[in-house]
This record gives sequence, structure tokens and C-alpha cells, in this order.
Amino acid sequence: MTEKFTKVSFSNLDKVLYPKLKITKAQFIEYYIKIAPKMLPFLAERPLVLTRYPNGLDKEGFYEKDAPQGMPNWVKTVKLYSETAKRNVNYILCNDLDTLIWLANLVAIEIHMPLSRLDAREKPDFAFFDIDPEPPATYEDASTVALSLKEKLDQLGLKSYVKTSGKKGFHVLIPILREPTFKETRAFVHQIGQQLAKEMEIVVSEFIDTKKPNKVFVDYTQNSHGRTMVCPYSLRGTPEATVSTPLDWSDVKKKIKPAEFTIFSVPSLKKDPWKDIFENRQKLEAK
Amino acid sequence: MEKKPTKAKKQQALTTEKPSDKTEKTEKAKTAPVSRRPFWTGSITIGLINVPIKLYAMIYDRGVSFHFLHKTDNQPLRYEKVCTKDNKIVPWPEVVKGYEVTKSQFVVFGKEELEAVKPESDRRIRIDKFVDYFSVDPIYFYNSYALMPDKSNDAYNLLLQSLEKMGKAAAGRITLRTKEYPALVHAYKGSLVLTTMRYSYDVVDPSTFEELKELKTPEKAELDLAKKIITDLSGEFDITEYKDTYRQKVEELIKKKLKGEAIVIEKPPKEEVKGLMAALQETLKQLEKK
Repeated sequence: MTEKFTKVSFSNLDKVLYPKLKITKAQFIEYYIKIAPKMLPFLAERPLVLTRYPNGLDKEGFYEKDAPQGMPNWVKTVKLYSETAKRNVNYILCNDLDTLIWLANLVAIEIHMPLSRLDAREKPDFAFFDIDPEPPATYEDASTVALSLKEKLDQLGLKSYVKTSGKKGFHVLIPILREPTFKETRAFVHQIGQQLAKEMEIVVSEFIDTKKPNKVFVDYTQNSHGRTMVCPYSLRGTPEATVSTPLDWSDVKKKIKPAEFTIFSVPSLKKDPWKDIFENRQKLEAK
Repeated sequence: MEKKPTKAKKQQALTTEKPSDKTEKTEKAKTAPVSRRPFWTGSITIGLINVPIKLYAMIYDRGVSFHFLHKTDNQPLRYEKVCTKDNKIVPWPEVVKGYEVTKSQFVVFGKEELEAVKPESDRRIRIDKFVDYFSVDPIYFYNSYALMPDKSNDAYNLLLQSLEKMGKAAAGRITLRTKEYPALVHAYKGSLVLTTMRYSYDVVDPSTFEELKELKTPEKAELDLAKKIITDLSGEFDITEYKDTYRQKVEELIKKKLKGEAIVIEKPPKEEVKGLMAALQETLKQLEKK
């Protein structure tokens, strides 16, 4: 029966992955199947990093870059030198539905993607602002900062897109033409962060200040070769099964709670706020 | 145990065997069986007023039913009553009814003795009072019958229109075959319908279960999340969205068998896999569109 639709054969479907909400592996895989049409365009041609919890969230999870042993021969991988691991790593590429389902069957709860694609790894196609509130600062503070950032980017004539991080913060992205290097996008994001920090008491822009309480860090550091961002529509390893969810800016204005976007609610969202993101690649000029 | 549905089914079989019905064996007739023969005739009695009516079956149990056959020659099998002492078949005239008082101790009744105490149907639906239809707990609803006027169009229509306008139901009693039921007469889709009901002592109060005493009050955050999920999945209830898939599959198999096709027995996928396959088909459809 399954062979008709997917090459993947499922295992342990009744295993509970999210103990607090009693979400089973079947429900988990179903989420990734349902969200695939929206998610797959972001995954294509990017060597992925996974956070796997094969025995559920209350058991040990691990980061995984290397494709696991004994994987089926139709899964595409690419051998690359990892700066952080200091060795060659066999990365998984997810260019099709079957691979995404296979990843779900491996209980890759979180799927992280680099900001550049395989054919030009040094040239990112996104500039990425990670807006991360440090308690007692909340998502509301983070949304205020995100909105100020949007305004700033609007003034520069840059169209930006926002998603929840799936935790407390927001991710703001500018889809760009692949001209500048990571060094240049990083400098650009850092510079905007510094401007915001000057204008807003609550914002910090320097890595050293990340853990300052009640501040919102506009993180530029992920704009680097070998670094990753949690993929749009990826689930997070939170007890509430939250999702990193693309939003309309109007939702952020309404101070919509990131916690509302979960494995249960996201598949039924009608709109696709990032639908045109790949048609809006913009020229980012180093200032 | 009353066996109303069985009776209804028999009646349906009877009517479809009638030559006049044979021409109408369409799919529609199959899904909406209409019994042509009244199941009961009598009248609704409200004080001194009588409304003569005919009762028709309207609820059918349309599951799949099979006959037992002898494997060696495919001949139908029938049941026989066999004496537990000598294993010999007992003919009907030698059968009496026994009520088991204690283990293997019976009080014996002849047929006439029980006949004498059977409630007699006086062919009346006696109405005691009128109630708000929606105030009646549907857990007590047992079976429903279509009521049709029996040369009483005006009185029937007057009762129908007034119940419909006021949202009321007439509550009373009816004796069907040998059992008296509490019953409601109410308007439904432009018709009067009789709904027989269970007695209160036939329904267990679930709150008496021990399991419920162990339940703790959920936390607010959990409640909020649950509310959110329920709101997201809220919709109108549409009974036609539910299909008896077992019956459909058996009917397909029957068609194949009649055509002489070989049937491959598929190992049924687990319940969870079925859900995933449905999601997969939907996703594949969407991806194709892109």
C-alpha cells in the first residue's frame, strides 16, 4: 500500500515523540507530509543539519550533519568540508518529498538550512536577522524590534519577510541576488543592528551582549559560511511542538503570539505569506 | 431485546421483491429505501382529539450481512434447536419458554400464559404533554418512524405546522408489538416523525464511573492550547462525510467476484499508516499542481 505513494517504509508510528502533548510519530510525519508543498522550495540544494530525537523529546536528542549509516540509496548527499567539525561531512540534500518523509521517519524534529545553496556556497541568497529576546524581555518586545527593523529596511527600499523562530523570537529575511559574500551580508546585518541599538534602548547588537537580561539581540552572526537557520515550517523541539512559521507583517503588528503556531494549527493556515519570496530577490549593496 | 431494525429490514426486503419495485432498482432507491407498507396503523390521541396515522419504517441498518453456507457444496445452513441432554433436534411444538431463576433452575411458561399478560396495543399514540423538542436528551432516542396521514390530511397538517412553528414535540406512549415505549411526535423535514425512547433505567449515568474521580483540573495553558486546537478544527457537522468503508469495500469485492476476477488479499495497513497515506495523496496532488 505505502509503495504506491512513497519509497519510505515507516517505523514505530505509535511512538510518542512529544510527551507533554502525547504527539505520536504518525502525527509528526503527517505534519511534514502536509507542510511539504510549502517547505520543499526552501530545502532544495542546501546541505542540511538536523536535530534528531529518535526516542522523543524527553530522551536525548542530537545534532546531525552526517547522513546516517544504512540510508537508502535514493537519498542524495554531498560530501563537504565542515569548518566547525574540521573534517569532511556527508550532508543530506532534501530536494524531494520522499527525502523529507524519510527525514521525518528518522525523527529529524528540527531541520536547519544554510543561507546559501550548493552551487555558490560563499554567496548567500538571504540576509538574515535573528531577533532574540532575553528574558524577561518577551516576544512582544521582539515583535516591536522586528517592526522597527522592517521600517528601516523599507526606507532602504528592501522588502523583508518575517517568520517566528518557533521559540521566543522572530527571524527577518531579505531575499537577495547572489552577489555579495557572507562577509558582506554579515557586515550589512550587523550595521543595521547597530543603528537599531542606537535608536532603541532595548536592542543590543553585539555578540558579547547576547545574554544581557531584558534585551533583544539582533543577531548577525548566522550570516556565515557553515552556519544555519531553522528552516521555514520546521518544527521545533519544544514541548508545545511549535513551528518556525512565516507570517505577514500585519500579524506581527497585531502582536500575534508565536506560541500559537504549532503542529496542530500550522497545516490548516490558508495563506502562504512567503509565497513570492523567491521572485523578490533584491540587490544588496554594501554600504 | 427488541429487534426493531431486523423487522424493518425484512419489510424492506419484502417491498423490494414486489414486481412493481423491480423496475426502480436504481442507486437512489438503494440509498433511500422507502417502505411502501405501513408498519403500524392507529391514531395520535390528544385529549379527545384523534389523528389517524400510518407508521412507516425510516431507519435502516444497512451493514453487510452474510449467510452461512456449507463449504463443500455452498448450500445455506439453518439453525436447529438441539436438546443439550441427548443432542437430538427438538420440534417447535415441544418448545416452551423458561426463565432462569438460579443456575439451571427454570420457571416454565407455556405460550398462552405469556400471551395473557402481553401489553395490548390499543392502536393509540397517547400524548401526555407538549415539550420543547431540543430539551429532550437525545441519548434516550431509540428508533424513529415516519408518520403519514391516514385519510386525516387536515388534522395531520395542523399538528405538523403547529409543532414546527413552536419547536415543540408531543410526548406520550406507544405500544409496538409487545412493548410500551415512551415516545415523541415531532416535526422533521416537513413530516411528522415518531421517535421511540429508552427508559431512564436502561441508560447508565457515566458520572458514576470510578475513573472520573481520578481526573485532575488541567492547567490554564493546557486548556488554552486545547481551545486553540478545537477552534482551528471547528466546522459544521455533516453526516454525509462519513461512509461505511467496510461496506463499500465488501460491495466492490462482490462485484469483482461476480465478474470472476481474482481477489488479492492485501494485508491491511495499520490505522496510523492510513492517515499518512491520505495526507500523502493530498500533498502529491498539490505538488503536481505546482
